[in-house]
Amino acid sequence: MHMGDHSADVLNGVTERRSVVLDESALDDWFRDGMSIALGGLATACHAMVAVRHIVRRRLKNLTVIGSAVGGLDVDLLIAAGCVRKVICPYVGAEALASIGPFYRAAAEHGEINVWECDEGQYYTGLQAAGQMLPFLPCRGGVGTSFPEINPDLKPFTDPVRGETLLAVPAIEPDVAVLHAAFADGYGNVQFVGTGYADRLLWRAATRTIVQVERIVSNEEIRKTPERTALLASAVLRAPYGAHPFSSPGFYLEDRAHIAELVEAGRRFARSGDRQPIEAYLTRYVDTAPTHVDYLEAVGLRRLFSLDEYTR
Amino acid sequence: MSAPATVKEVMATFIARDITDGEEVFVGTNLPVIRAGALLAHLHHGPNMRVMIAHTRTNLYHTPVMEHFQLLTDWRAGRWAEGYFNDHEVVFYQKSRRNSVFFVGALQIDAFGNSNLIGLGKDPHRLILRGPGAIATTTNASHVRRFYLYVNEHSPRVFVERCDFVSTVGWAGGGADARRRLGLPGGGPRYCITPLAILDFDEQSKRMRLFSVHPGVSVDQVRAQTGFELIVPSTVPLTSLPNAEELAILRGRVDPQGLLRA
Repeated sequence: MHMGDHSADVLNGVTERRSVVLDESALDDWFRDGMSIALGGLATACHAMVAVRHIVRRRLKNLTVIGSAVGGLDVDLLIAAGCVRKVICPYVGAEALASIGPFYRAAAEHGEINVWECDEGQYYTGLQAAGQMLPFLPCRGGVGTSFPEINPDLKPFTDPVRGETLLAVPAIEPDVAVLHAAFADGYGNVQFVGTGYADRLLWRAATRTIVQVERIVSNEEIRKTPERTALLASAVLRAPYGAHPFSSPGFYLEDRAHIAELVEAGRRFARSGDRQPIEAYLTRYVDTAPTHVDYLEAVGLRRLFSLDEYTR
Repeated sequence: MSAPATVKEVMATFIARDITDGEEVFVGTNLPVIRAGALLAHLHHGPNMRVMIAHTRTNLYHTPVMEHFQLLTDWRAGRWAEGYFNDHEVVFYQKSRRNSVFFVGALQIDAFGNSNLIGLGKDPHRLILRGPGAIATTTNASHVRRFYLYVNEHSPRVFVERCDFVSTVGWAGGGADARRRLGLPGGGPRYCITPLAILDFDEQSKRMRLFSVHPGVSVDQVRAQTGFELIVPSTVPLTSLPNAEELAILRGRVDPQGLLRA
């Protein structure tokens, strides 16, 4: 049988499907100074904290952080550690547990970070533009407001079809999206318990996506419910309790005492410039806990077990 | 004989009576009064309402009690839900919300119902007070059938002549066609609900007007606590109180935890 050159190229010797499961130590290769990083989850749930703590531990600099639409204290922690230059998301906080992230507030008020002011509609429009490989998409929300004046990237223009004034929202293009989900197989097929918030949109917008999961399951398990597969990850990290101190639907609730410790450290800093509490926090939970297992040990099994959704 | 209605119960009842059966209502989380108003309307006279609380759509007409949950992402809220949606679809697809009712909070509100959640100060990059940000209010308030401004404080620092920044358009510079001129399809703010009073908007100028005062509050008090000149009609009624049936639903089914009585 004749084989052309083309077929020879195709038969490059790869005969096995490649696993995308990462070892935690390989996270180093994924993040560098100045990157644009999208963080999944929402508010007090499902932030990819193993990856976030990894970034904090390395004290990466000048990051553009695209928080979730209701950005959590994952963003606040990165700001506390001095990793952030620019924040793109409509909110940073923990709702009733902290109406605004204290480090975010202080850094914004002192001009130490650049806040790309937007509402959720504008934020999602920018991500959608990135996902569609468009330079911008139009948005109506913001017409008549101060947004274009505060954030000159939001440009009013006359729509050539109907003559309306709309805002052009430029594509928000994450270099990498960092998500936390319930399950994935070794090939990167990710399934959520719950809706997954807007994580699928972050995946669509980003160049590459890392997903930490509560449990890595078999490909056969994924194939039982293929309609539930939400996205295909570039890399998968095994991370039980990996959203802690935030909740992970189907697994555990947010750890309110731990969140309060972080918030209190932020409030101390905001009130008096005292960094001692946050430095103590970072030492205990990040710098002297070089791996996720070390972190979980620092938090303690008793605490982790108390976070069950339905038994208390 | 049950205890008299609290101000928060009065505010919730006002909201409830302004919502009709068949309407769709969007409520965020940790907003006990707004949540209670929407649920009271649903259980009292709105069996066909679509009630969205955070990401859940619920119908509780035959459900005895719905517990309050504090956090947006509390997955256990699904116990009361018949639908559970992801965040970006709820925000993105405004066409499906064009007939719905929404609520907007604010750090500042001006005489035409424009409002600010961004922060206080002159320089947006050096705010004196960084606010929570607009969340989804800008986009939602541009499109929904009508919205209500809701604040927990009625004072001259909230009701200001001019907002430092506008994150949500009310009636812009005033006039009944103000929103149409901006191309905003939504119906704009109908009422502003505060712990002292209900405010509405003059039909022509769309300037804010005193609609009713809550029990125990005087017209002069509202005027003094408002930082711009409010239109005050010659007679201002009291905000009406919940009746026995409404109070029973509020206390028994909507708010058994007593958040509105605290």
